[in-house]
Amino acid sequence: MSSSEFTKKQTNQRSVTVIGDPALAAWEIVSVVSSILIAEWILSAVAELSKLIVAVPVALAFAFMFFSHRVRKETLRDLGFRFDNFVRAILLLLLPMLAVSILLVILRRWSGERMDFLRWHTGTPLIVRLVLGWGWGLAQQYVLQGFLNRRATNVLGRGWPSILLTAAIFAGLHLPNAWLVAVTFMGGLIWAAVYQRAPNLFALAVSHSLMTWVVVSTVPASALHHLRIGFSYFG
Amino acid sequence: MSLWNKLSRQRRMNSDSPAKLIHFLIGKSVVEALLITAVSVGFYFLTTNPYLRGWLDRADHQTVSGWAADEAKMATRVEVQLYIDDKFVDDRPAAEFRPDVHEAKRADDDWHGFVFKTPPLRAGEHEARVYAVHASRGGARRTLQLIGKPRRFRIEGTAVQGDLP
Repeated sequence: MSSSEFTKKQTNQRSVTVIGDPALAAWEIVSVVSSILIAEWILSAVAELSKLIVAVPVALAFAFMFFSHRVRKETLRDLGFRFDNFVRAILLLLLPMLAVSILLVILRRWSGERMDFLRWHTGTPLIVRLVLGWGWGLAQQYVLQGFLNRRATNVLGRGWPSILLTAAIFAGLHLPNAWLVAVTFMGGLIWAAVYQRAPNLFALAVSHSLMTWVVVSTVPASALHHLRIGFSYFG
Repeated sequence: MSLWNKLSRQRRMNSDSPAKLIHFLIGKSVVEALLITAVSVGFYFLTTNPYLRGWLDRADHQTVSGWAADEAKMATRVEVQLYIDDKFVDDRPAAEFRPDVHEAKRADDDWHGFVFKTPPLRAGEHEARVYAVHASRGGARRTLQLIGKPRRFRIEGTAVQGDLP
């Protein structure tokens, strides 16, 4: 049996095709995305019952992702928790990051408003924000690239279709914040493309944190709406 | 490709693997569906009062009246709000004398009625709705529950004075 069949189950000595690998990978994507949407849109709306309730679908999604890696025999190195390609990933990220940053700075200057590079949580030192942003970015990039991008390649193969799908999912999870949807789609394209060439989550987390800082510093606060997404956007 | 890579690829998908993943996916969906159901029911009970009873008996050019009682807290008076043609008119506790409600065993005492004076209205068709107010989150949220059914009534005549609804 070929590895991609992933499909045969012996039932009463009869071989039954259960589901193909692309379909199973698509189901995995839908399952994880729906867990995040449940947390963002349904449970955060009723979080007054208990804030912990929001953590339930998120915990289920992480438990499922870990289980999926285990079943598919994916190692931490496969996922991108590695250092050997860190520099290569950073070099791949550098140019698009610079391009996006310059574009955002030009747009800000063109609008005639002043930039504030210390605006990101003014009560906390910037370096602390960047380190915390790196941790938060690592978690997001693990889900986005380490799981969703990898499964998207199972469905659509490597290349632009799976990169677009990954970016579209990332952007969609930031609805209804229009500015965040736009910048996360752009970021999602860059990060997904780089991950397919040099899978390194540490480098992507560095990029994630720095780009969040740039976006928060250059996009008007009224447009960013405190980076709120899902039902919380309306709160 | 090295022997190790070949072996690890062959190891990757055994016949039990998809079944395990599918079982997990189904189990996860079931847990999430149950969670959403429980949260929805919990939210419903938090934001509405399932023990509220009442009826809008009458609506005309003079008064809008009926009764409202909380079967879980019979001693308390339900706060009710009158809307005519979807515009707020008045707010008061349902504490008027209604012995028939008590006799029908819908309340513990005779004081669960409400009577609103109908405000001046333009001639023509109007609709009255009365809502019970339910406070939750320590009063931070107030939700309205319709009492009985909306009642349509007609104001005769043509005299229109001032800025009437």
